[in-house]
Amino acid sequence: MKPLTKEQLSGLVAMVGATREQEFNCAECGAFAAEFAERQLAGLPLDDALMRVAQHLEVCPECREELLALIAILEAGRAG
Amino acid sequence: MTVTTDIVFLPPGTLRGRGLLGAFSGILQWTFEWLKDNVPPMVTGEIDWSAALRATDNAAAVSELRTVVLGGLRAALSGRGDVDEAHLEDFAQDALVKILAKLGEFQGRSKFTTWAHSIAINVAFTELRRKRWRDVSLDQFIEDGKHFAETVDESALPDVDGERDQLFGVLRKAIAEKLSDKQRAIIAAALEGQPFDQTVDLLGTNRNAAYKLLHDARHALKTALIAEGISEETIRTTFAA
Repeated sequence: MKPLTKEQLSGLVAMVGATREQEFNCAECGAFAAEFAERQLAGLPLDDALMRVAQHLEVCPECREELLALIAILEAGRAG
Repeated sequence: MTVTTDIVFLPPGTLRGRGLLGAFSGILQWTFEWLKDNVPPMVTGEIDWSAALRATDNAAAVSELRTVVLGGLRAALSGRGDVDEAHLEDFAQDALVKILAKLGEFQGRSKFTTWAHSIAINVAFTELRRKRWRDVSLDQFIEDGKHFAETVDESALPDVDGERDQLFGVLRKAIAEKLSDKQRAIIAAALEGQPFDQTVDLLGTNRNAAYKLLHDARHALKTALIAEGISEETIRTTFAA
């Protein structure tokens, strides 16, 4: 096994640090992603469910990647 | 040149005895009722997409949604070298199928089109990640995780002070003692950037069960760190820079 790199060690510690007792999984995060993206763009506050989306995004790079892409679409729509 | 004129008869009483304002209001109301009864749901803007897509004759709505979804995918993915127009068309088609299958799950908490884009993005990214899958067996996957985090690159700890040293020492011990082989493997895979769906497939499970395995592993490590007196604040900030 290769030694952990600096990025991997940082990622591991960040992943552990962001862990909560109760978390949304990817499917639950996905169900709220559209609302989360719209409220983020509008600068509106997040309710409890959307705070759990935010927490999931801290520990899940794949959902984070998809959320950023969704926001890019919404921004492109606003600009166009 | 032939000019065709449709003659519309207003219902009796629409104009009678109301004065000009009343007559205008009556015409407006009649027009609204007529439109409601005779014009199918609009499928552009944020008019009732759910109804339009559920209608028996939904071809126009599906076609319009396909255009919207394809435009979104193009905006999100066009800069990527591994995506061409044919990919975008395929993703849009697969996304449409999924969106129509999940219509009942749309709760109206966002615009319909935003919800549709979120599904399309998930379809596209899942497929793109699939292309990065390595050819690896479950045995290899588990074996790879066995010695995970036994060593760390020298550059990972450039200015080792007591706190970092302690945190990494406790973490390494917890990984060795508190995690199962599968838990070590799933964390190692995540840090290697292995697509999560591949991990799910390798483990022969579903995404929710795999996520729980990963969550339980992270939780076990955090519990071990806190039990050793390392605060949440320290965990969050030690390697943040």
